[in-house]
Order: sequence, then C-alpha cells, then structure tokens
Amino acid sequence: MILSLEASSVTVAYPNGHTALRDATFKLGAGTIAALVGINGSGKSTLFKALMGFVKPVKGQIHIAGLSVEQARKQKLVAYVPQSEEVDWTFPVSVWDVVMMGRYGHMNFLRIPSAEDKRVVSESLERVGMKEYQERQIGELSGGQKKRVFLARALAQSGQIILLDEPFTGVDVTTEEAIIALLRTLRDEGRIILVSTHNLGSVPEFCDQVVLVNRTVLASGPLEEVFTEQNLRQAFGGALRQFHFEHSTIQDHDGKTVKLLTDDERPLVFGKDGHLEYKDRSGREDLVNKRKEEVGE
Amino acid sequence: MNLLTPLEYDYMLKAILVSGLIGAVCAFLSCFITLKGWSLMGDALSHAVVPGVSLAWLAGLPFSLGAFIAGVIAAITMGWLKRKSGLREDAVIGIVFTSWFALGLLLLSLFPSHLNLKTIILGNILAISDPDILQVVVIAGISILVLALKWRDLLLYCFDEAHARSLGMNTSFLHFLLLALLSATAVAALQTVGACLVVAMLVTPGATAYLLTDRFGRMLGMATAIGAGCSVLGAYLSYFINGSTGGCIVVLQTLVFLLALVFAPKHGLLASRRIRRLAASNLA
Repeated sequence: MILSLEASSVTVAYPNGHTALRDATFKLGAGTIAALVGINGSGKSTLFKALMGFVKPVKGQIHIAGLSVEQARKQKLVAYVPQSEEVDWTFPVSVWDVVMMGRYGHMNFLRIPSAEDKRVVSESLERVGMKEYQERQIGELSGGQKKRVFLARALAQSGQIILLDEPFTGVDVTTEEAIIALLRTLRDEGRIILVSTHNLGSVPEFCDQVVLVNRTVLASGPLEEVFTEQNLRQAFGGALRQFHFEHSTIQDHDGKTVKLLTDDERPLVFGKDGHLEYKDRSGREDLVNKRKEEVGE
Repeated sequence: MNLLTPLEYDYMLKAILVSGLIGAVCAFLSCFITLKGWSLMGDALSHAVVPGVSLAWLAGLPFSLGAFIAGVIAAITMGWLKRKSGLREDAVIGIVFTSWFALGLLLLSLFPSHLNLKTIILGNILAISDPDILQVVVIAGISILVLALKWRDLLLYCFDEAHARSLGMNTSFLHFLLLALLSATAVAALQTVGACLVVAMLVTPGATAYLLTDRFGRMLGMATAIGAGCSVLGAYLSYFINGSTGGCIVVLQTLVFLLALVFAPKHGLLASRRIRRLAASNLA
C-alpha cells in the first residue's frame, strides 16, 4: 500500500443549505507534514470531517491510499487529534484509559485489551513523554500534556494519516517544540500529518507542504511555493494584520537586527522579495549558503 | 424486637431482594447518566412511561412492555422536537415529559389498571405481584447483560463521541441504546420507589461514586454497591419504621451522598479545604 491523501473537487453542503466547501482539490504523498491554513469558518474543520467520513461530500471524491473514506476507516488509517475543548476533562478516566481508547478499533466485541494493546499503549505514552503520568486523572494535566495524551491516542490507534486540530493553542513553547519534534519523526516514518492551524508563524517551522483554504482550496503544494504573501493575502483577506519593517528601521547601527515580540503566536516573517525567514535553520544549510553567495561572502 | 422478623415474611423477603436488584441496575446505569449529563432526561423518562402502563393494561400486554415503549417514544419525541423547534433542551424535556405524564394520569383515572395511580407515582414494592416480579427480573437481567458487554463502548461514546465515530462505532445506535436502557430501568424501578423518585435511583449512586474515585471501573463498582446496599437496607428498615419503602431507600442514598460530599478523600468538602490550607501555608 502506498500512502496518499487525495481530494478531488470535494464539495460539502450542510442540511441547512450552507456550502462549507466547494471544489476542494489537493493531494498529499507519504512522509509529509502539511499545514491546513485558513481563517475560522474557511472550511478547515469541514474538510477534516469529510476526511473522517462524518460528512459526505455532495460532489467529488476523497481517496486515502487509494481507498474510499469508509474503507480507510475500516483499516484504521486515519487518526484524529481533537482540540482540547471538545472533551469533558472532569471524566473519571486516567491518561492510560484515554490512550487505550485508541486501541478500541483493534479489539474484539468486548474491548478487552490484549498484551499487544497494552504494549502499544505503553510505547505510545513513552513516545510523547507521558509515561510517568499514566495513572493521572486527565483533568489534572496541563494544556500541553492534554495535547500529548491525544497524540499518544492517535499513535496507539496506529493511524497512518494523523489529523491535528489546532495543536498549539494553549500549549507552552517547550511542549510545542516537543510536539514538533515528534511530528517530524512520524513524518520520517512515512506518515501523513495534516495540521489545521491559523497560527501562521509556526507553519514554516515544521511543515513542508501547505494547503490554503477559504471555502475552497486556494493553493496547495510545497511550502516555499504556496506560502507566499500573495496567497496568504487571498486566504485571509482583511483578517491578516501586517507590520512592514521599512528599510530605514534596520539601520547599520542596529547591527542589521531588529527584535520582534509576540505574545502567543509565532510571527511569520518574509524577507526581501518575499522569501520566508526561518527561525530554526538546522536542516536548511543549503538555503543559508545560497543567501551567503548572493551577498558575495 | 427481633432483627430477623422481616425476613420471615415472604412479601418482605421478595421486596428486599427485588429492591436490591433494581437498585444495582439503576446505580450501574447512573454512572453513565451523570457523566453524560442526562439526569433531567432520567427524570423525564421515568414520568413519561406512565401512559404506557395504562395502555398496556387496556391492550392486555405486560405493563413493562407498554411503559418501555412509551418511554422510548417520549425520548424520540424530545429529540425530534428539539431539532425542529430550535427550543432549548430543558424546555423541550419540560414540555414532553409533563404532557406524557398528564396523559398517563388521565388514562389511569379513566381506566383503572391493576396498578393504581398511587402505586405508579409513589411505588409500593411490598405489594408487588409475582408476574410483575418476573417482568422486573427479566428487564434487569437484560439491562445488566447489555451493560456488562457494552460498557466500554458506552463510556467512549459519553467521553468523546467524535473519536467513537472515527473508530467506526455506530454512535446513533449507542445513543439509542443508552436511552433504551434508561427507559427500561425507569420501568423496572417504577414499582419500587414510584415515578417521582426513580430519578434518585438513576442519579444519586453515580454522583456519590463520582466524588469517591477518579477511575470509571471503580466508579461502576462503588455506585452499584451503594445502589444495591441502600435499596436492600432501605426495604429492610422500612419494616421497622413502618414507612414508605421508596422514601426509605432514597433517603438512605441521599445520606450516603452527603457523607461522600463531606468526607470524600479527594473531592470532598473537607479535602478541598485541606488542600486550600496547604496551598496557603506553602505560599506563606
């Protein structure tokens, strides 16, 4: 089986007549972290629902590894990591119990965990660094820990396509980096990670593909090609705030550096001629070298 | 006074055993009801089953079948009305259950059945007939069997419906199953404590156990023990104080709840006070 995720002319309309998504087309191959970027109400969650089979497109098709959504679900290919608000945290269940719920699809009618199920749950907890919290009641966790528990559940489900809904809201920076590191190893295992987010600045840090949505798919493809100022303006319209560093701001006596502070979300910074500025340069040595050549160093 | 006297009477022995069985089933289910936030729904269904008793009597069917069907129809009506009217859920529940209960009162006053109005509303386990015991035992047995087989699925459905759906579970079926179990147990509990107090059996044990533990498995065990224990003890004690059996059972359950509310090791009032003090002294 070759992993892929393909949507062709997907149109989703709700019973109240509202068309949430029209003619959405994109394709993702194995081993990628893709950002699903758009404003609230742009159809991100509708697209997720369609990928999970919660809503049926009135037109168009979705293929997951060449299979229909229904078949893919039977093979447990798709795992979903929800936003924290979607779940009641006062429930009397432990971290272990929640991750074990990811194994339900692999269990028999009575859902009695086998030794294999326990091994997978334990391993998944280990991977997200939550093993020592396994006995905790879930309400006692911090925002970032809650996220990691859900991620562990998706791993336990052995999902090959992992859908994450706004994974970095309410998460501290350390956890955010831990989650990103984990997503990278999952990508390197050949999985497809699709991350829904409106946090633009984090996208260049860990995504290699981008799907821009606004009631339809405006553009999709490699980060450098799609994540441009022009495309983003189209996707966000007036909802995008911007701050231009005029040439005069960056004087030689500043050592050509300016400091940019934001409260929670990472800023997205474009350099001259609209090339993306990366905070994390590891693995991008070729880009750094290219820039050096350009200025003749 | 001999403590074993009640057990020498056949009717007392039956009342104690049947109460214990019903108390256990209701309590098991109460864990799901309290976590799902369906307490009001439990109250509604226990009243909505009343017209079914009368109609079943007129049609010559077992009373529990009629009551069960009435409960399920009421639940479906509520879901339908909520979708169509756009009214808030509490208003919908209020409208549907009172109208079904009123219909039940009307039917029972016009066509008296083998269960009189007082029995249905207030319960009278001491006078329960053998065929009715059989019905209750069958309902309780089926409910326990279904719950024992499917409690993990129902837990996941209550906790995270979207995840249950993404695993390919039929969540509409689980929703209906929980409603059906709620109706069935409400019917079974009707003769023990009466329509007015059924909701106590369907909520209090679960709420008590919730205060006592952070693990669902333990919550199920504790709630069932509390529900069965209070019902057996309540029925037994009602002989000595010569009071209403239903009242006795529910008062006992409430006492246990109050004890848990104050003394629960982690979530009790005293414990949270202790934690606050500790936090304050740590700051100082």
